[in-house]
Amino acid sequence: MRRYLRLFFVQLRTSLTTGMQYRWEFLIDGLMALFWAAMALLPLWVLAGTGREVEGWTHPEMIVVLGWFVVLKGLLDGAVNPSLMAVVEHIRKGTLDFVLLKPADAQFLVSTARFDPWKMVDLPAGGAILVYAFSLLGRAPDAAHIAAALLLLVAASLVLYSLWILVVSAAFFVVRLDNLAFLFMSIYDFARWPVSIFKGAMRLVFTFVIPLAIMTTYPARALLGKLAPAVVAVVFLGAIGFMIVARLVWVRAIGRYTSASS
Amino acid sequence: MNSGGSSATVEVEHLTKIYRVHKRPPGLAAAMKSLLRRRYEEVRAVDDLSLSIAPGERVGFLGPNGAGKTTTLKVLSGLLHPTAGKVRVAGHVPQERQAAFLKRITLVMGQKQQLLWDLPPSETFALNRAVYDIPRVQFEETLEELTRLLEIGEVVGKPTRQLSLGERMKCELAAALLHRPEVLFLDEPTIGLDVSMQLTVREFVRRYNERFGATVMLTSHYMDDVAALCPRVVVIDQGKLRYDGGLAELVRTRRPEKRAVVGFERPVVRAELEESLGGMGRVVEHSDGKAVIQVRQSDLKAALAMVLARFPVADLTVEDPPLEEVMRELFAGEKPR
Repeated sequence: MRRYLRLFFVQLRTSLTTGMQYRWEFLIDGLMALFWAAMALLPLWVLAGTGREVEGWTHPEMIVVLGWFVVLKGLLDGAVNPSLMAVVEHIRKGTLDFVLLKPADAQFLVSTARFDPWKMVDLPAGGAILVYAFSLLGRAPDAAHIAAALLLLVAASLVLYSLWILVVSAAFFVVRLDNLAFLFMSIYDFARWPVSIFKGAMRLVFTFVIPLAIMTTYPARALLGKLAPAVVAVVFLGAIGFMIVARLVWVRAIGRYTSASS
Repeated sequence: MNSGGSSATVEVEHLTKIYRVHKRPPGLAAAMKSLLRRRYEEVRAVDDLSLSIAPGERVGFLGPNGAGKTTTLKVLSGLLHPTAGKVRVAGHVPQERQAAFLKRITLVMGQKQQLLWDLPPSETFALNRAVYDIPRVQFEETLEELTRLLEIGEVVGKPTRQLSLGERMKCELAAALLHRPEVLFLDEPTIGLDVSMQLTVREFVRRYNERFGATVMLTSHYMDDVAALCPRVVVIDQGKLRYDGGLAELVRTRRPEKRAVVGFERPVVRAELEESLGGMGRVVEHSDGKAVIQVRQSDLKAALAMVLARFPVADLTVEDPPLEEVMRELFAGEKPR
């Protein structure tokens, strides 16, 4: 366990060093990250203009959902995506062999291989949106509600990460995966809105197939004090179950892996 | 060469590896058809291969492209599961990929790199130290020694992308050996390198083998690598074992003829030379002042005496035929003797 913690920090350090290797790129990346974080705030104005209620969500409440969306996007883009895009690259170039030759868990090694520190700018940006939303509501959230929301944030991260592991496991069979990754990102974009906005089949898909509801709507409801503690527990356990499934699929995929050249 | 048994470092018994490959005829129509129904073909990459390597041995692994060399090395290092047969390396079953096993081996692939492209090799070294859980003192000792043997002191601090191919390969070797593996699988470690760099890598592998008593299994396109490094060679073709034994013996049995390179004081007519040789040998190369004569071992003395007596010889050397030619003949399709 301690060894893996150390390994994690070494990988993190390597990512940061890589990020700073090219000075100009680093600066431009930073500016771009700030720009996109600002862009994430843009829908606030749009919503502010209408100021009406949608499917039981008031305007400030919808902003809470948006805040969670930005926070989670920061986690996803900064800590999950870069590593998993790197695996896809590994599989295509056949260099995953080197990962599998290492005496450490392959899933851990690939999952912690790359971080994008600048994308983390979305984390404080999302935080700012949440603060703004509650200032509109004119109250501060409960400590218990914050705790529940944070727990759901962890659950949401686990689900997102597991989904990614499943997608990457598919890469062992499909090899060309760039488009699948793009599709995944596009779908994630829907998590910007409370899931109850969607109707019929879409809603079923976003709740059960691609659990967007869990990712942003539930933490938002928890923070607003509108989610029963039992639901929080169930979602959390569900997320852990999902991660176990992803792990099993990954192990199977590795077992079937035969590298790109013979 | 060796008796095998439980003391062997590498033990392979009846190893077979079959790939399923998706096959289709060329053309757009066929491509569309293959979307609906795929035809698979089985490729026997390795076919009933058995061999055993003792601790500390250096073995050259030879064969034409697609012979199954890389597949065998990947099975031995646990990257591929055998379809059939038993494999043991350093007392472990490779495919289980136990940490204890992976810490004792290394696989270097000349065509792929593990060094982080944007960072100096020293960063990859630090990463590998954490991954292999190498104690700091041992790490620094090993790194110091590898740096000295490979002469990479000045390049480990430069970003990998700025290194030359040879510098990069040397750093690859260092990265792959930091954990002091006992078994080295080297797949084309000198590919693309110039002659002097090949020599450096070759000399390094020999020193590492002698210094740590490591077992080395090496594939190479350059026969010189194998000739210089490996007293024993294993030859496979189409996944099947064709030869296993001493290199010198292979050359002797496959090509019992010697080559005499003769320099003349003045031009000599080819036909004349051939006529004088009679049935003893033949002229394989000829230019105005020089000829290469290939002669059976048993006729060597007589042939040389004749040439010396009848022609204005200025210079004479006798050598074995180049290994490339021995190989070409071995792979030409005839059964090994």
